[in-house]
Amino acid sequence: MKAEARISGVGWRCIEAAAAFLTPLEREVVLGDLAETDRGAWRGLGDVVSLMALRQLALWKNWRPWAASAGLALPASLFLMGCSLAASGTVSHLLHEPTNGSLLWRSASRLFLLVSWAWMAGFAVGAVSRGTLWASMLGCCAPCFYCLSKWPGHGLSELQLFLFLMPGLWGAWRGRKHLRLGLGWALFLATMAMFTPLMWARGGWIYGCWLLWPGWYLAATAKRGPA
Amino acid sequence: MVGEFEYLILSAAAHLGEEAYGAAMRERIETTAGRSCSLGALYTTLDRLEAKGLVETWMSSPTQQRGGRAKRMVKVTRNGARAAREFYEAVIRISRGTAWGEGQLNRFRRTPYEG
Repeated sequence: MKAEARISGVGWRCIEAAAAFLTPLEREVVLGDLAETDRGAWRGLGDVVSLMALRQLALWKNWRPWAASAGLALPASLFLMGCSLAASGTVSHLLHEPTNGSLLWRSASRLFLLVSWAWMAGFAVGAVSRGTLWASMLGCCAPCFYCLSKWPGHGLSELQLFLFLMPGLWGAWRGRKHLRLGLGWALFLATMAMFTPLMWARGGWIYGCWLLWPGWYLAATAKRGPA
Repeated sequence: MVGEFEYLILSAAAHLGEEAYGAAMRERIETTAGRSCSLGALYTTLDRLEAKGLVETWMSSPTQQRGGRAKRMVKVTRNGARAAREFYEAVIRISRGTAWGEGQLNRFRRTPYEG
């Protein structure tokens, strides 16, 4: 009788759910080892969790998780909230003056810059450290939750503040999957990223300039030559 | 030189020969060395040993006993055997002249402070 059958259905499902965080090959090996031996659900779960923890610890010995979460996701989240506010502010002015051409141009360019910067930053986060995306997500969400708790009902809707989240998540998903951009796209995004800090008033652009590194990182690691 | 747990893994793999894989090695370490061995410690140490070129690992074909899942088979390389021998000889050398050293283990076990 297999251990898989001896461990209760719920216990085995918990083990399988925890093992979902392992790589497919390792998941197969570990679940196979647990299925072969009779150690009970708790010990099996402990085995899977200890392996996951040790794998995560090994990842954090590298510079990549630190750069992705503390070096990019956290500061970029603050920067992009400011960009979201600037872009949504211009759009709301445009709604009051729909015939104003220059306002239309400013709204479109700000939205475009916001989306491209957020996508680029998300891509860099996913590409720099895909194994610790959960920590980068945490780093990105922490300032968002802080702002929501600090300034509830200040006339700022969540949509105004978090316009960057969707393109950022989309970029992270693409970065995790593809790791590298084509050189043309990477250069385009890195160049666009240089204009994004201009959305900020009162020196915020200096902060944005410090956050230009992901664009040039993507350009430096881009795929060269014919696709 | 390899560490103590690395040595246990090398010895278990060498003893099991062509049947060396995760679950069997863990069983061997726990029953023979009398210490608990989590799969996390086992596989992360195996990765380290493989990176040092002391073992080779590969995936076997799936078996019915494991619910149709493959095993990660392990083989000690020549360098692995040499590293294990160095550790073993170092332990033997350093243990000479001690109460628990070669040939004195039984006498040591009878001493009152051993319990």
